[in-house]
Amino acid sequence: MAGIGFELRRMFSKDTLSGRLQAYTFAAVIGSGPWVLSIVAILAIGLINTRRSAPADAVAQFQVSVTYLMAFSLILTSPLQLMFTRFIADRLFEQRPRLILANLFGALVVTFAAAGAVGAVALALWFDGPLLYRQCMLSGFVILCGIWMVVIFASAIKAYQHILLVFLMGYAMTVGVSLGLRGFGLSGLLLGFVIGQACLFFALLALVVRQYPGDLMVSFDFLRRGQMFPSLIWTGLFYNVGAWADKFIFWADPFTGVDVAGPLRASPIYDLPIFLSYLSLIPGMAVFLIRIETDFAGKCERFYLTITNGGTLAQIMAARKDLVEAVRGGMFAIFKVQGATTVILLLMGEELLAWFDIAPIYRVLLNIDLLAVAVQLLLLTVLNVLFYLDQRRAAFQLCLLFLVSNTLFSLLTLHLGPAFFGYGFALAVLLTGSMGLLILSQKLDQLDYETFMLQPVV
Amino acid sequence: MSALNYEADVTLLLEGSYPFVRGGVSGWVHQLIEGLPEVRFALVYLGAERPPREAPRYILPPNVCSLHCHYLMDGAASGVPTARPGDPAYFAASARLHEWFRDPQGAPESAWLDQALLQKGQASGQCSQDFFHSQAAWQQITESYARHCPDASFHAYFWAVRNMHTPLMKLAAVARTIAPSRVFHSVTTGYAGLLGAMLSQQSGRPLILTEHGIYTKERKIELQSLFLREQQGWFSALPETGMEHYDQMWVRLFEGMGRLTYAQADPVIALYEQNRQRQIRDGAAPERTCIIPNGVDVARFAPLRARRPEATPMVLGLIGRIVPIKDIKTFIRAVGALAVRLPEVEGWLIGPEEEDPAYAEECKALVRSLGLENRIRFLGFQKVEDFLPQLGLLLLTSISEAFPLAILESHASGLPVLATDVGACRDLIDGKEPADCALGRAGDVVPIVDHDALARAAFDLLTDPARWRAAQQAGIDRVERYYQQSRVIDSYRAIYQTMGAR
Repeated sequence: MAGIGFELRRMFSKDTLSGRLQAYTFAAVIGSGPWVLSIVAILAIGLINTRRSAPADAVAQFQVSVTYLMAFSLILTSPLQLMFTRFIADRLFEQRPRLILANLFGALVVTFAAAGAVGAVALALWFDGPLLYRQCMLSGFVILCGIWMVVIFASAIKAYQHILLVFLMGYAMTVGVSLGLRGFGLSGLLLGFVIGQACLFFALLALVVRQYPGDLMVSFDFLRRGQMFPSLIWTGLFYNVGAWADKFIFWADPFTGVDVAGPLRASPIYDLPIFLSYLSLIPGMAVFLIRIETDFAGKCERFYLTITNGGTLAQIMAARKDLVEAVRGGMFAIFKVQGATTVILLLMGEELLAWFDIAPIYRVLLNIDLLAVAVQLLLLTVLNVLFYLDQRRAAFQLCLLFLVSNTLFSLLTLHLGPAFFGYGFALAVLLTGSMGLLILSQKLDQLDYETFMLQPVV
Repeated sequence: MSALNYEADVTLLLEGSYPFVRGGVSGWVHQLIEGLPEVRFALVYLGAERPPREAPRYILPPNVCSLHCHYLMDGAASGVPTARPGDPAYFAASARLHEWFRDPQGAPESAWLDQALLQKGQASGQCSQDFFHSQAAWQQITESYARHCPDASFHAYFWAVRNMHTPLMKLAAVARTIAPSRVFHSVTTGYAGLLGAMLSQQSGRPLILTEHGIYTKERKIELQSLFLREQQGWFSALPETGMEHYDQMWVRLFEGMGRLTYAQADPVIALYEQNRQRQIRDGAAPERTCIIPNGVDVARFAPLRARRPEATPMVLGLIGRIVPIKDIKTFIRAVGALAVRLPEVEGWLIGPEEEDPAYAEECKALVRSLGLENRIRFLGFQKVEDFLPQLGLLLLTSISEAFPLAILESHASGLPVLATDVGACRDLIDGKEPADCALGRAGDVVPIVDHDALARAAFDLLTDPARWRAAQQAGIDRVERYYQQSRVIDSYRAIYQTMGAR
């Protein structure tokens, strides 16, 4: 009998059936949830201390110092954040959770080394002032970087309530300790922050270590070729730099920026309204978490399960429709809640500013910032959905667009004058957000085609 | 055309056989090449997956000028998948070809071969990219699914379609690499036959097709045995896998490849009449078909007759690979049944076990469970000449055969044959035409999978010396008159000459 004996068993084997389809569970809280919380805390510390008549200079310097720590720790860890999220999702999918803990320690080693080195160099080059202040800056930077890494692992287990609780405790502690140490001026406030954040870090770490099994101590598997997705590194970096680009520009400009603490500059005119606006994201974020992380994530998993569990094309199409509905419904819910919040805040802008002791002249800027951050939430939602659908390329392009447009438009508005401040950022998120919606709707339309046809041939 | 410098006189297209796999077809090919030393042969071997290392099982004769191996299931190297619209002309041709596979009315259009299979005018790999990743392909796949099997698992369907086409994409690439040849000669339909049709279409040179077995039928048996093995137990409900549908898809693919090959090949050669009829039924033009039976080098086996012991040994021998299609288990059961009446009987299995170790193990387990350890011997691959004189009867229990060489060899060595009624076995044992039948019966023929009938027939032959002698003589007479190897060689020499001169 001549002829090729076909190994049909191989072709129909479960390995091929489950193929390369997997639902990635990307945690949305990265770089957004904790960040909003931190801003709340900074404002709260500032506010409470101001009301309790701490030296105003010290409070301003403290706020700016912490803002810098936040911005640069987020940017420094951003290349690792998305990559790590993906690494965890892949290991969980392969049912190899034991590798995760060791890699967390590996990631922390890398992060601490990098943060320590970068922080030390920056301190040596640009900072003077009390030793305690400098030490606090360095340790605060390293700890924040560590927090951003651990929170990825914490979000991967989807224990949002625990995370929230830990964060609330950590920040209550931060606020409390800084309050107690405020007599020592800037260094005291910052020491309080560092102590609070350190507690937060270890609490998060405890949360994660308790959750994952593991025998290895430290592993650097995540750095291995094949486990890395270079596009995710750049996507994370671009998004975070993009989110800060307008602020950096306004800080650096001699007209809008002022020296606050040593080399640290701030832009009182630009910063307050925008950070205030970020507070308005809290209701929208909550809806986002519920609708996207639970509803959409479930539908997304359902879609891939329908495929791998032998669904008919009609069932697959129905699951796709459900998924699209979930995206649309989620977007709409976020839009409704965030829209309502924004409208209310727009209406009571004057009272808000008065309550925060901000001059009414900021009203216009606050209004445009409120709109802008609402759109940024939309962009965040789109990005998150794209990550779930493993559309790394589209996410990369969007984040690059965000960075470029935010930089260009912010520079432009700087030249156009104060009446246009805030419009640059708003326009950038609007452009990127609409582009994101367009890409997303296209990707959803082609989801069936791309899911199947863009799989590599075995 | 004579100015063309042909690299070879004959390019043999071999699928899963010579020179890497032993078996009837491979032996036939080897003898053909050796018998025609004046003809320059190029060999193209098609395998499924590239094995870690593969050594030829035959020493290639000096008139083999090249051997190229291609593995159709090896990665189709389609690069990084990128979204693309796809070439409409290519998919239109492919859609019509698929329609023709489902409903083969009329001759295939040469444009189909050109566009869909040879991918003429397309950069190498272009169509492969289109097929695996384009929107047009997606549309064709989903439409076909919706029309023909909307209730099956789509993921399985999708991968079945992909897996079925991967070798075809590879084949198009292979066709571009094969050197000019005076004629192409395929010894199966299937992928090798299709490659032959493509090469013939591409170069305008003739394609000769010799079919030993029935490729499509063999594939069906393979599919069924795989399907049954997938099941957990005989009495558990069959899961809704939609497997039957994929089986049909594969069978239709094999049938379609056969039709395309028949349409291009001239002559279409069968080993015996039944197979010729089947070829006609499957789409071969009757006027192109002809029969050239297998032959045997009688002179090589004739001396064995003198080496036979005086008394007929009570040994049943089966010469063949230990694979399901040879139905070794029925042989084992027949020996078991015979042992009741003939206590000294033994059964020898002479053939390699490595092709399907799992089945070989099953057979050995059956031997143990029937308590036949002392009667059944697994001898492995052996030189047939050493064992033929020690046997009392050659048994062939196959559920499918074409034209088993073992019967001719057995005849030539003076050993009667007891075979199942498959392929050309009855012709070889009872005779074809009246003059042939008049030579007498060279053994007996029984239905397949019937160990009792086998045991009865074997008992009759082994215990009746007069009948045994008559069968021996009939076999010798038949093989010497009708199945001399030299006749086969002469026929092919003539075909190569006439077709090569075209």
